[in-house]
Amino acid sequence: MDGTVTEQPGRPSTPDLVSRVRRVHGHWLESYVAMLRFDIASQRTSLPGFLIMQILFGVGTAIIYGFYIGQLSREAALFIVSGAPALAVIAIGVVAVPSMVTDRQTAGTWDFIWSLPVPRSASVASTFTVYTGLTFPGIVVTLALASWRFGLHLHPTPMVIPAFLLGSLMATSVGFGTAQVIRNPLVTNVATNVLIFVVFLFSPVMFPIDQFPHWLAEVQRVLPIYPLAQVMRASITNGLVHNVSICYAILAGWTVAAWTATAWVIGRRR
Amino acid sequence: MAVAVAPPASPSVAPNLAVARAGPRYWLHGYWRMFVWDLMNLRRYLPILASILILQGTGLVLGVGLFFRHIPESAAIYVVSGVPVLSLLTVGLIFEPQIVADQRAEGSYEFVRSLPVPRSMMTMAWYTVSLIPALPAMVIALLVGMARYHFHLDVTPSVVPAVLATSFTGMIMGYALAHGITNPMTTRQVSGMLVFVLFGFSPVMFPATQLPHWLAEVNLWLPFESMATIIRDALVKGMVTGVRRAYLVLGAWALVSGLVTARVVGHRR
Repeated sequence: MDGTVTEQPGRPSTPDLVSRVRRVHGHWLESYVAMLRFDIASQRTSLPGFLIMQILFGVGTAIIYGFYIGQLSREAALFIVSGAPALAVIAIGVVAVPSMVTDRQTAGTWDFIWSLPVPRSASVASTFTVYTGLTFPGIVVTLALASWRFGLHLHPTPMVIPAFLLGSLMATSVGFGTAQVIRNPLVTNVATNVLIFVVFLFSPVMFPIDQFPHWLAEVQRVLPIYPLAQVMRASITNGLVHNVSICYAILAGWTVAAWTATAWVIGRRR
Repeated sequence: MAVAVAPPASPSVAPNLAVARAGPRYWLHGYWRMFVWDLMNLRRYLPILASILILQGTGLVLGVGLFFRHIPESAAIYVVSGVPVLSLLTVGLIFEPQIVADQRAEGSYEFVRSLPVPRSMMTMAWYTVSLIPALPAMVIALLVGMARYHFHLDVTPSVVPAVLATSFTGMIMGYALAHGITNPMTTRQVSGMLVFVLFGFSPVMFPATQLPHWLAEVNLWLPFESMATIIRDALVKGMVTGVRRAYLVLGAWALVSGLVTARVVGHRR
């Protein structure tokens, strides 16, 4: 707080309250902008690395699937290309964000950040903005390279904006929330490695879900990765995805759950 | 090598009083002590490591099958007979550099180097330890693969040299990396990259014909395809050719890595 609000005994008048709320509102925005500058400046060396990593992961995985399957039908190639951006986003949510959180846990940076005179929600919102924003160039480059590799032309619809925005925000939020809840960098590191393995082999991102055993398909439908791939695929292809609204709802649910978990962890005093 | 030369002892000195830092008995003793040392060091991690390798092997065998709507039998055989390579390389090539990086970070690296044991025996002891979690993982992955895809492997006695050559080459390459690169961060990046190359860009679990021509050519000179060739030859009848060449390629990689290791580990500071 800026200290200009003087505590008066009794109930403040309505105009007082309004100006106070405005000031709080303004303070939050100012804090958010300041934290954005802090986040970008403090991670200026690691952010380009994460960007390259997500492109390599998205494009590399698409190419690798091609090697494994050998002769690709057009439909299989379309699934791979339209799944590549989801993998690039997952790389940010599963690898980049948790590793940033654990680095800051090890270095004690979070204690410093929480001690700053800014609302904690502004700090978290700034982190989410930076990493959600980071995924966009990665998505575009991944999509361009994968389409070129498999010789396909995609037809993006205006739905790419909500799909990629919600998908990236969900991945960033879940990665951030999980790493904050786990607290132990070693455990987070192990979880990251296991997740990458599971995502690569057991998630219906690059191939249709009906290739899965029934029980695994049912589990995947409520986990965040399949809906993420579906909303992104729906926005750049025609006729491959049905019932996309339920996928949006599941993604929104995971995002809210991640925010709740984050608020619970960082809102507590220690 | 680190074998300390004992001062020229006069013949009158009783042999049991002199510290004989040479000869097969000294080497065997050093090997055994280091084997026990490594085992004790990893006693808490070894069961975890074994579990990770078992999950990795069975996960790969089952997971790659999901890429296909109906997996062709040849693709299934490639996957199942390629998985042992990954099981055998994970500890020696991927984890070892990270373990050494951790030792450097916590300062125990110099202590281990100061132990009065020949460095070659340290390497061999580590090699033996690295096989302990890998072998059961390999066998389980093969059994799960056969059950899942309904075929039988024709295991021949050549599986023994194939497994030993593959695991030794992987271990000595990992050793050279671990000791040659001093920055722990670089080590982690290199081992991360190796996983990617090994899993995705080497014809270990799929035929080299599915790679672009230039990449298939490059892989002829890298060790991973050769490892898959000799292991597959020992498990499946008539599927591979060029086994002798594969052994030669592995031998060359092992030799170069051994020389790098000897140079890095053997010199005094």
